This record gives sequence, structure tokens and C-alpha cells, in this order.
Amino acid sequence: MKIQKLFQRTRFGIFAIFGGIVLSTSALCLYTVDTQLSAEYEINSKNIAKTVADSSVDILLNRDMATLQSLVDQFVEIQGIRYIYITSETGEYLAHTFVPGIPGEILESDHRSTEPVERELPGLGNFVEVGSPILAGVAGTVHVGMDLDVVSLKITRAIGQQVYLVSIILVIGVLASIWLVNLAAKPLGELLAYAVELARDHDEESASHREVLNRDDEVGHLARLFLYVARNGPKPETLEAAPQS
Amino acid sequence: MLTRKELIRYGLAAAVLAPWGRALGGTGNYFLQAGTDPADTDSGGPRHEGEIVLGVSAAFSGPSRGLGTELYRGASAYFSRINENGGINGRRIALKMYDDGYQPDPCVENTMKLMLEDQVFLLFGYVGTPTVTRVLPLLKKFQDENIFMFFPFTGAQPQRQPPYGDFAFNLRASYAQETAGLVNNFVSIGKERVAVFYQADAYGRSGWAGVRAALGPHGLRIAGEATYSRGANYTGTMRRQVEILKASSPDAVICIGAYAACAAFARDAVDFGLEVPIANLSFVGSENMLKLLTEGREDSEAYTRLLVNSQVVPSYEDLSLPAVREYRDLLDQYDPQVPPELIKEEYAPFPYSFGSLEGFLNAKLLAEIIRRLEGEADRARLEQAVFSVKDFDLGVGERVSFGPNRRQGLQTVYYTVVEDGRFVPLHDWQAKFA
Repeated sequence: MKIQKLFQRTRFGIFAIFGGIVLSTSALCLYTVDTQLSAEYEINSKNIAKTVADSSVDILLNRDMATLQSLVDQFVEIQGIRYIYITSETGEYLAHTFVPGIPGEILESDHRSTEPVERELPGLGNFVEVGSPILAGVAGTVHVGMDLDVVSLKITRAIGQQVYLVSIILVIGVLASIWLVNLAAKPLGELLAYAVELARDHDEESASHREVLNRDDEVGHLARLFLYVARNGPKPETLEAAPQS
Repeated sequence: MLTRKELIRYGLAAAVLAPWGRALGGTGNYFLQAGTDPADTDSGGPRHEGEIVLGVSAAFSGPSRGLGTELYRGASAYFSRINENGGINGRRIALKMYDDGYQPDPCVENTMKLMLEDQVFLLFGYVGTPTVTRVLPLLKKFQDENIFMFFPFTGAQPQRQPPYGDFAFNLRASYAQETAGLVNNFVSIGKERVAVFYQADAYGRSGWAGVRAALGPHGLRIAGEATYSRGANYTGTMRRQVEILKASSPDAVICIGAYAACAAFARDAVDFGLEVPIANLSFVGSENMLKLLTEGREDSEAYTRLLVNSQVVPSYEDLSLPAVREYRDLLDQYDPQVPPELIKEEYAPFPYSFGSLEGFLNAKLLAEIIRRLEGEADRARLEQAVFSVKDFDLGVGERVSFGPNRRQGLQTVYYTVVEDGRFVPLHDWQAKFA
């Protein structure tokens, strides 16, 4: 239908605006979820490391390694925490959760470091490791490894859900806009058809029965104006008196 | 924390099971709810009419089910005899049993039920370090109730030292004593590079700490270490662990694990060329380990010739010991089986085993302690009754004494090796391993 050409730009504009909203919202969501969730996991890991460190003091001083290991085992059950190890002030590994053994990369690392460090451990995955000193470091250090793959999975899942929701809104919005444009285009089409018929046939009687003349909107006004012009010929003063849309 | 709904559910279940419990009473291993009035405790313990109820949470399922089963069989045989003769001070001994599968969380839940709902008199026959170490804080929490743990099947330190040592009594020697004995014997025959293969949990760590502490005075350190996850099966591979330890060139390996994993390690050690003495602690379950290594094998000697297992009870073949003779008689007579309600997987018990002998000795000593309570069984006087045990002859050649600073009955560690398809005492380390 020719009249719809009039709205092609409008449709494209709506689609572009919605697309832009989806893309920018997704990008913002990606950034926010990624940074906030990663930061939250890191903070949690630090808190766990600190909790283990605080709880370990008496246990270490009592040389009760079984209880120390039991403590560590309980914390490693928390989702996202993949490994924990405790080193003494001399670098000896007093408790850990590695099977079948402590990875070489960890054995070679600085056991006193408490700064977050990213690790890629063969066969285990990718981790961010944080540390916390025990008794200001004089009794050792607790190290907690956070599984980046689990964090990535969670981030991906969270973002996926957001994008899914926004995409649904986009589809509904575009469909709604098409429907609304069509709604607006339909009377214009009728007006066009009426005008063509009026111009071609000059059959004023039949044309005057067209439903479009009964409309109480701009299209109705235009139709009646076309009919008036067809009957009376154009008069500038009449045209000037036509209702303004 | 149990919800009201759960309490009602357990209460209803207990009411349904009560008649069955009484019907099975002759074997000494039954479910029961013997008219307890929770208000009638007053920290002296519940009043189960005509019975003294012992709470048990142990491994009756999973790869370590043999440990709980064997320990139970020995204890049950002795309690059956006691009950048949009219009980102790006119009261029968009953066991309220739950399966924890050698997992800490179920063990904690079971213990809560035993203490709060079943109102047991004491806790008895627990199996394992990771389970017991998680239960000990509960005993401290409810210390006003005077609930004690008796003779757990673990040699770990937490129930032997502060802050929880006051809530448990041990019969067996500790892992520290077992590992020290193994290390000292290895070092004495020139095997100074000792590596450790251990379960990645509190039990493994306890043994690891024992080896580390024992090597220290010799100026030595652990040569290498490898771990495995609790619950590993014999069918799984331990090749990686063998490779890790082999890289440290050990003279001997001390294993701190359960029978399925340790048998798998011993098998793979031979298969992948780690031909050194392999020691295991008493907890391993020697008979089950041997069975896995020998069953269906013609070349089983290759897999067992370098094994040396420490034990905390004497050999069940040593008929010179009165306790061993009594143990064998009672086991033959009663042949106790785990209640069918607790059986999830098939397990064929051994006629005799170190585990069931330990269970028997645990039961015998506990019966003696309860006997010393006289009159009303009162938890508040339980500790006093334990401390009254001085130079008690349990029939194993070592006398048992308890006191405020002595909460472990036996100190002796025995060493055994495989000969002719069974574990026999090791007398000469030099001749065997040098």
C-alpha cells in the first residue's frame, strides 16, 4: 500500500530507538553486573579469608591441625570458593583442600602475599586468589581461591536474563509500533482512495456516501474539504476557512 | 535447628517404630522410645525405663561402611551377652543407631536427634575424624547436659585436647602415637624419606600432623605428599598420587585413609613402580583392604608384601589373651548383624576383625563404667565413674586407667604385615623391610 511508505521512516526510527535502548541497556548491565558481581565475590573471598584467619589463631597455637583442616573444609563448601590453603610464617603448608596435591604454581608463589592475584591452574581452572594474614602475619597466612569460571557463569547468566527481558520488550515494542502505525495509516489510505475516486469519477453523489466523510478527525475534515472543492471548485477564502489539522 | 514439623514427624515415626524396637530387644541393637520424659532430665540424663540408651552415628553406608559395621558387630556381641544376663544394675543396654555414611553433616544431624529427641544417655561408637570433629562443638554447647562421647573410632587429637577433650573418652591409642611408631621404626631401619598419602580432610590432616611431628625430632621433614577425596572407591585410579609421591623418591609411604582408597593406592603404587613399604593406620580397616587387594588375584602377594599396618588392638589371632578368646566366643555365638533398616548396600562382615575387636573392647569397658554408676544411671556421675577406673584389666595385656588428665585408656600400638593372606604381627622391621 503506497500510503505505508509515509511511515517507513517512522518504523525504522522506532526500531532504531528500541535497538539503541536494548544495546545500551545490555552494555550497561554487562558492565554493572560484571564489575559488581566480581567485586562482591572478591569481597566475600576476602571476608572468608579474614574469618578463617581470625578463627585459626587459637587452633594454630594449639597445633590442632585436624580442627584447622575441618575449619577450612567447611568454608570451601561455599559456592564459588574452590580452594583454601594456610601457610605458616615459614611457608609450610599447614592445611589445604587440593587433590591430588598442591599445584606447582602455588608452591612457587609468595606465601606471605595477601594481594588479589589471578591464577590459571592446569586441570583446575581460573581463579582469583586473595589472602589474609593470621595474627598480623606472624602465625601465617590464609589464602582463598575464588573460581572465576563459576563467577563468569553467574555473570553470563545474570546478563542473559537481563538481555532476554529487554529483547522481549523490544519485540513487543516494535510489534506495537507497527500496529499503531498501521492504525494511523488505514484512514489515510481510505482518504487517498476517496480522493482518487473523487478525482477520477467526479461522481459526487456516490462519493458523498463514503464513510470517510463521517469521520470526526483530520481525515474526515480533509475528505469533506476534497468533496467541497470537487463540488464548488477551489476558493481561496474557503480553503483558508478549512479546519486546521 | 529442627522445625516443629520435623519434630512432629520424628515423634510420629518413633511412636510407630517403638513396638518393633521392643520386639527386637534380644539382640541389643534395636530402635526404641522407652517412655522418656524430657522434663525429667535435670542434667542427670533421661529416664528410659529399664534401659540405658546409647546413641550411635556411624558409617553403615558408602565406601567406608565396613568400618561402622565391624565396630558395631564387636560392641553388639558384648552388649548382647550383658542383656542376656539381665543388663547392668537391672537395666538393659540399647543402641539407638543412625547412619552418617562417614559424612560430617549427616553426623551432626544424627547427633542432634540423638541428644534432643532420643534423649540418649551417652554417645558411643562414632566412626571417623571428620565426623567427630564436627560433633565435638555440640558436646560443648550442651555441656550442662553432661553428654559425653565414649570411645570414638578415631585417633585424632581434637577429642584428646582442649577445648573439647573434656567431653570425650578414648580407648584406642592416638594417630600421633601410631604415626610416631611407624616413623620411628622406618627411621630406625634407614628409611628416612617418608612421604604421606592422605585423605583431604581432618582425618588425613591429623595423620599428616602426626608424621610431621614424629619426623621433627629426627631432623627430617615429610619427603612428599599427595591427597585424595573422602569417599574414593577402589575402582578409581590413584595413578596421579603415585606419580606425585614417586617424584619425591620416598623410602616409605604412610597412608592416612580408609580401606577403599588405600587399597587403590597400594595397587597403583605397585602397578606404576613405587616399590616401597606402604604403611596404613588402624582406621584403614585392614581386613577390608586386604580383601580388595587379594580377591580374584593370583598375584596378590605382589600387592601386599610391602604393606605394614599399625593397629591399636592386639591380633584377634592371639588366643593367649583372655579378651580375644571372649571376643571370639561372643562373636561366634551372636554373629550380630547391622539392623536391616540401616543397610543400603551389601556388606559381608568378617568372622573376626581388628575393627570388631575394638568395638568389643569399647563395649566391655563402657559396661564396666556403667556398672560403677550403681543405682540410678546418672549422667552427672558418669565422669566420676570413668575416673574410678584404675588399672582395670580389659584382658589385652595392658591395664586401663582414667583420670582428669588421662582420658585415653590404651597406649599400645601394634604392627602387622600380610603373610599367607592375613595380617600377622610384625616383630622384625629390619628383616622385613631393610
